[in-house]
Amino acid sequence: MEAYLGIDVGSVTTKFAVLNGSDELVAHIYLLTQGKPIDMVQQGLKQIKQQLPKDVDICGVATTGSARYLAGVIVGADLVKNEITSHAVGALHYFPQGQTIIEIGGQDSKIIIIRDGIVADFGMNTVCAAGTGSFLDHQALRLNISIEEFSQRALDSTTPVRIAGRCTVFAESDMIHKQQMGHRTVDILYGLCQALVRNYLNNVGLGKDIQPPIIFQGGVAFNQGIVKALQEELGTEVIVPPHHEVMGAIGAALLVHEEIADSHNGSKFKGFGISEIKYHTSSFECKACPNQCEIAQLSVNGQVLARWGGRCDLWERSPTS
Amino acid sequence: MRVGMPHMGNLYIPFKALFQRLNVDYVMPPLTNQRTLSLGVRYSPEGMCIPFKLTLGNLIEAAELGADTLLMPAGSGICRLGYYAKTQEQILHDLGYNAEIVCLGVSQRKLFGLLEMIKRLSNDAPWSKIISAFRFGLAKLNALDRIERVVQKVRPVERVKGTANKLFAKAIEAIDQADDYNTLKRVQIGYIDQLNQVTKDSEAQPLVVGIIGEFYVLLEPFSNLDIEKELGKLGVEVRRTTFISEWTKFSLFLNPMGVNEKDRIHKAALPYLKRDIGGDGWESVGEKVLHAKEYDGLVHLAPFTCMPEIVAQNIMSSTKENIPVLTILCDEQIAKPGMLTRLEAFVDLLEYRRRVKNKHRQID
Repeated sequence: MEAYLGIDVGSVTTKFAVLNGSDELVAHIYLLTQGKPIDMVQQGLKQIKQQLPKDVDICGVATTGSARYLAGVIVGADLVKNEITSHAVGALHYFPQGQTIIEIGGQDSKIIIIRDGIVADFGMNTVCAAGTGSFLDHQALRLNISIEEFSQRALDSTTPVRIAGRCTVFAESDMIHKQQMGHRTVDILYGLCQALVRNYLNNVGLGKDIQPPIIFQGGVAFNQGIVKALQEELGTEVIVPPHHEVMGAIGAALLVHEEIADSHNGSKFKGFGISEIKYHTSSFECKACPNQCEIAQLSVNGQVLARWGGRCDLWERSPTS
Repeated sequence: MRVGMPHMGNLYIPFKALFQRLNVDYVMPPLTNQRTLSLGVRYSPEGMCIPFKLTLGNLIEAAELGADTLLMPAGSGICRLGYYAKTQEQILHDLGYNAEIVCLGVSQRKLFGLLEMIKRLSNDAPWSKIISAFRFGLAKLNALDRIERVVQKVRPVERVKGTANKLFAKAIEAIDQADDYNTLKRVQIGYIDQLNQVTKDSEAQPLVVGIIGEFYVLLEPFSNLDIEKELGKLGVEVRRTTFISEWTKFSLFLNPMGVNEKDRIHKAALPYLKRDIGGDGWESVGEKVLHAKEYDGLVHLAPFTCMPEIVAQNIMSSTKENIPVLTILCDEQIAKPGMLTRLEAFVDLLEYRRRVKNKHRQID
């Protein structure tokens, strides 16, 4: 079976998607990165292999997400693509008529404006993670409920509480204050959903021309409370596509399929066997100039596979060179 | 008296030539680096822009090397930059450096202001010597910018990535070393020749991206995380109208004679912005309008908290001349991976737009 693999290694979760030759999703997995991107890529490969038929032939691999270069070196990617393009391509594959894509992940959130089937504008959060999944995770932890329970219970709210969502630290003190005033937990939960949505629209969405149909994807789209709050705030329906949580990986797989079809070259995929290899990462401070760049390197058996992190090209070693 | 000055790109090279020819005791701080930034951030008021912080860092590093006479541009009609020299002098005094800041009031007295200041620094050297040294400095400046324009063209199409950057680094050093016009000319011709001979991908049709925005962040690669090199790596040809040599040519020589290169840019901006708003905001709007048809996209660079550029950014988003603009705010918080993700996505966006445009053309 002809197949294309997309791997999306984000700060919080790692996603795998396999498409067949007709671009249909045949397997996908969703793992927590837990700060160990290399281990998760190896584990993910092992797991997804079990979901695939014996005659599977990986014709192309693409990596995306914030650890796309690292993951690309490990698996031997044919294409390393940024997560903004990957998400847009994935969403448009299922909803070609979409005009706005809202993507909220663990540490970052994006807005992608689509016009005439192509990306016309995009935005991404900068240094603050207040409008993202980590914000919800953190507050759920404080309220001592699971993130799954959060989603369900937020919908039971009747009189949501207004919580300052500009900053996680202030949100937390505001939330504690509201708890101590005697507000119900469900109302606080939905208040948090509204705070996140307000924060997202006022930061990432600021100045963007948000038109329906609106597609909402990323891990946070699991949260029914957020979906409801988004619809209320935008005054229109929001579509949550199936497999929204792996949409970046799907997009990457679609892109590598197109790329391989154009080039007729074989895949550089190193095979499922790499889940057994011992990778070694280390870093050092470059002393060549006063910039003191921290250079990170990835090696196997003492052989350096890749280096990055410098301001200049002195240490840069990409897998191709 | 030992003279020092802040950095902005390769500006130190013509100044070095000038000081050497006039036997001025000078010291150049190390090129802007991580330590410069740390020093600047530590001793600056938080809300100041990155040009203030980095130049303060440079001045501190120059003072550490014994400079007691520091050069800084100042004057009215620019932006907050007009007051930076005074503020930075105060900060240096508070830190215990007994240095005096000499203000380069180029905005009012143009060439004469600059020449008078040089006369003072050179301990009253004869005018003939000053003018000859000044001309040699200008020649170096022009040579640097001529080579850089070729580098911008080679970067996106070179077969071995990084070749143009390596040649440019060598050229900068050779120009710095050159001590007469003949050598300078030989260096310039030699390096342009070498750049033209770099093996290129003859089929590549690079996207063309214009870089517009605030003067300092455009010209100091440290402040914009080497954005031009990064775009070159992505196979994009960068065009920039702002060069120090251009600025010198017009501000010092042609503007007093009534020729203004910015008239064209300001005229283009008129339907949206009728007056100068300080800094380079008027120019940013005008450049967007002018380049909407010529280029595939624009990268708009602005220091965080820069009022003129923020005004320009918001006007730019609603002009009827349509071209994608990616605004990048430069400050000490900016991180390279985040910037690269945006640049990569922006280049993809431009690539898709071009494909759609070409398809339409084929159908027509």
